[in-house]
Amino acid sequence: MSESNFYESLSDIEPGQRTYLDSNELVLNMGPQHPSTHGVLRVILKLDGEKVLGTDCVIGYLHRGVEKIGENRTYAQFNPYVDRMDYVAAVSNGLGYCLAVEKLLGVEAPKRAQYLRVILTELNRISSHHVWLGTHALDIGAITPLFYVFREREEILKIFEKYCGARLTTHAFRIGGCQYDAYEGFEKEVLKFCAEQAKKIDEYEELLTTNRIWVDRTKDVGVLSAEECIALGATGPIIRGSGVRWDLRKAQPYSSYEDFDFEIPIGLNGDTYDRYVVRIQEMRQSLRIVEQAVAGLMEGPIMAKVPKIIKPPAGEVYVSIEAPKGELGYFIVSDGTTQPYRMRVRPPSFVNLQSLDQMVRGRLVADVVAIIGTLDIVLGEVDR
Amino acid sequence: MEPLTRYLSSNVTPGEAGDMLWITIYILIVFAGVSVAVICMNWLERKILAHMQIRLGPMRVGPHGLLQPIADAVKLLIKEDVIPAKADKLMFWFAPLIVVMTAFTLFLVVPFGRTHAVTDMNIGILFMLGASSLSVLGVIIGGWSSNSHYPLLGALRSSAQMVSYEIAMGLAIVAAVLMTSLQTGTGTLSMIGIVESQAAQQTWFAFQFFPLGFIALVIFSIAMVAETNRAPFDLPEAESELVAGFMTEYSGIRWSLFFLAEYASMMAVSSIAVTLWLGGWLRPFPNALGGHAWDVAFSLVPGIAFLGLAAMCLLGAIRMPKVGALRVQTVGLAGFGVVLGLVGLVMLLPGVRERVQDIFWFVAKASIFMYLYIWYRGTFPRYRFDQLMKVGWKVLLPIALAVLILTALVGVRQELYAVFAGVIR
Amino acid sequence: MTLGAVLRKIFMVDILTGMSVTFRHQKQADVITEQYPLERPVIAERYRGQPRLAVDPETGETLCNGCGMCVTACPEKLITVTSERDPETKKKKMTTYTLDLSRCMFCGLCQEACPTDCIELTQDYEMALYSREGMVLSREQLEQGPKPTVYVR
Repeated sequence: MSESNFYESLSDIEPGQRTYLDSNELVLNMGPQHPSTHGVLRVILKLDGEKVLGTDCVIGYLHRGVEKIGENRTYAQFNPYVDRMDYVAAVSNGLGYCLAVEKLLGVEAPKRAQYLRVILTELNRISSHHVWLGTHALDIGAITPLFYVFREREEILKIFEKYCGARLTTHAFRIGGCQYDAYEGFEKEVLKFCAEQAKKIDEYEELLTTNRIWVDRTKDVGVLSAEECIALGATGPIIRGSGVRWDLRKAQPYSSYEDFDFEIPIGLNGDTYDRYVVRIQEMRQSLRIVEQAVAGLMEGPIMAKVPKIIKPPAGEVYVSIEAPKGELGYFIVSDGTTQPYRMRVRPPSFVNLQSLDQMVRGRLVADVVAIIGTLDIVLGEVDR
Repeated sequence: MEPLTRYLSSNVTPGEAGDMLWITIYILIVFAGVSVAVICMNWLERKILAHMQIRLGPMRVGPHGLLQPIADAVKLLIKEDVIPAKADKLMFWFAPLIVVMTAFTLFLVVPFGRTHAVTDMNIGILFMLGASSLSVLGVIIGGWSSNSHYPLLGALRSSAQMVSYEIAMGLAIVAAVLMTSLQTGTGTLSMIGIVESQAAQQTWFAFQFFPLGFIALVIFSIAMVAETNRAPFDLPEAESELVAGFMTEYSGIRWSLFFLAEYASMMAVSSIAVTLWLGGWLRPFPNALGGHAWDVAFSLVPGIAFLGLAAMCLLGAIRMPKVGALRVQTVGLAGFGVVLGLVGLVMLLPGVRERVQDIFWFVAKASIFMYLYIWYRGTFPRYRFDQLMKVGWKVLLPIALAVLILTALVGVRQELYAVFAGVIR
Repeated sequence: MTLGAVLRKIFMVDILTGMSVTFRHQKQADVITEQYPLERPVIAERYRGQPRLAVDPETGETLCNGCGMCVTACPEKLITVTSERDPETKKKKMTTYTLDLSRCMFCGLCQEACPTDCIELTQDYEMALYSREGMVLSREQLEQGPKPTVYVR
């Protein structure tokens, strides 16, 4: 549909019957340049006053063709590109990709590498939730939590920088294990961070959890029932906030997650507040996992025997992991050459974003930004 | 020399004395003072907010960013002045002027001291309320004339918000005005009269009929935040929802006029709160720490406060890292400290300190509210529009009504008691 | 709602706890701002910054043997190496080496592929330039390594 047709289809009044004083709906373009659309998401809102009658998401402003790039690079060469999809959780992306290629090759990373991967991925989950909390609170108008969470995120990024030499687009893992071994003092630094972070989470909760404005703004906003979540394919904290105990780390453990004792926090009502609580609890659970993984970190090799030129046998594989935002899946078809025949990514943000319309309909404009915030989308991942 | 002696011997405001020369001078002083205060407030807000957010805030323009507001003002003045092509140009040009004019008009009756007001109106507080509600006109015109969606939504929000919070605000004010009639039997609406009746009753109205006066102050201090469109009630300019609300299409000098008006009206409503509930220019603890000796001691406070600020500046200059790039800033900070110190010394002079202490106490009390504004902004999320209305109509309004009725009953009870006592006697 | 919850609501305990958090953080010790460039961050040892070509510290000869492993490893195909065979020793010798920094994503794959540890990513992160042409680094620039930026006022 062309753009002008689209606007006209939003209005209930026939084009010929329009007068100067008709009371047709207001069509508001939120984005792609808007303070709270988390990047370049464009939401076309059809408004009756402040009430939202319908939405239409326009995506693709950040499309870089990551999947196509993957089909033109060797398996090892594509590894740094996956960091650039969900750039606030680059380590998780790398882990999913490496696991997929490892399954295709039929190798498994050594135990030490798996534990290192768990530590870094869980730290990354915390830092991704940091970004979510900061921006979500900022959307709802609390400007201070952003700086508090970025203070802790900085600590995580420093650990990443010391471990693998980059802060954001880490390229931390390689196919078959880890390129870098833990640096000296890694365990101590991670444990110190965990001990401090637990106190800092209390601080975020002091600022927000009981605050009446925060509760008013998030309770009963963007409600999704468990059935709706499943029908929409929502994963991650969205579905857990609606009371479905679904976490791939428990459902189909990968990378030694079965060794660790942790709980899956779930919500009851499936509203924005529950998703907030779920994510806060997830940060605490991630700290638990990290502490256990550091305690159980054993000596040993960090790289499995992988040929220098990776040439997996022909076949296809789908591997999904629990990224901070939901199920992150990689579908790779190999034709036996050094480059994948087909590469397909199932990004959690993209799938979760389609529940926006359902949550927003009938709410107010202010709820739209709260709901976009609670979805925790990263446009690099939505558009790929 | 004659005007000066006339001024010094007068013990009423120039407006009451009908002294045109001094009225003009006062208006100019108030205008300049408020503008300077906006600049200071701008710097303070950035710094305090930054420190609440574990940042440093402006640090580069001048020592500790002291010249940042001036740099910003210059930038705004020389910036290209954009008027949207489809905007209503006359109205677009007119809206910030309305807002600024109303914000500054309020200061006509603000009593910084017994003689330190432009004039004393017998309907002072009504004038404040009436003039402050005019600013909503400017906001609506600004939002409408931009001919853009976000400003329109912002203007609609602000029209509903500012009107509905005025009611709770008005009821809280009436409760305070009722208290002025307690001893004399006749109340007053004059800003100076209200402060004088607090002096006569030897208590600030915040502590009269505790907790009634205090609740009224709390209601007012919530409603005034909504009235001035500040966080957590900043829906008309909610940056995460409406980009910048009614100011979205404004830039350069027009935008800075809105900015100026916002801070000026914040100060104006703070000074209403100070006048009505916190004893205006009266010094704190008049009863517990009464007597001539304490009077003198309290009159020294303004000078000492300025000397303290000077000491902070000089300490900061000493603590400044000894880097070549920062030499100019160090000298500047030290110079600023010396100037503040000289001002402090002048304020300690016997002739000056009696006249200045009124203003000092008034400003000090008002600055508590200004700090609260920043503190709110640093802490709270923003209300949604329907919740804002709910708070205004379903929470603040009933409480304000209850406080008003209870204040009236408690006040009458005392008088009834007096009547009964007379009958029995 | 229990009585405690009602009392907490009336006395605005939730609001006051939030305000106490922001109030507590006002002290100077909590400030985490790093006043770059006056204060400079500590860069990790493994940091992947601007690339350089290592030379033998004694002889000043390049370690590169012109094998071209980095060329094949680079996902963005930014590296070009030309080499020629030394007629006397029958060994390959690198003659020219260019690296287009403008599209480099500092993944470190070239560093990992290099058999002689010649190309390495240094800790320098200040690579801003005024021209795109300056981003294409020649062999001489790469061997010289990054020059630390000095700020003057």
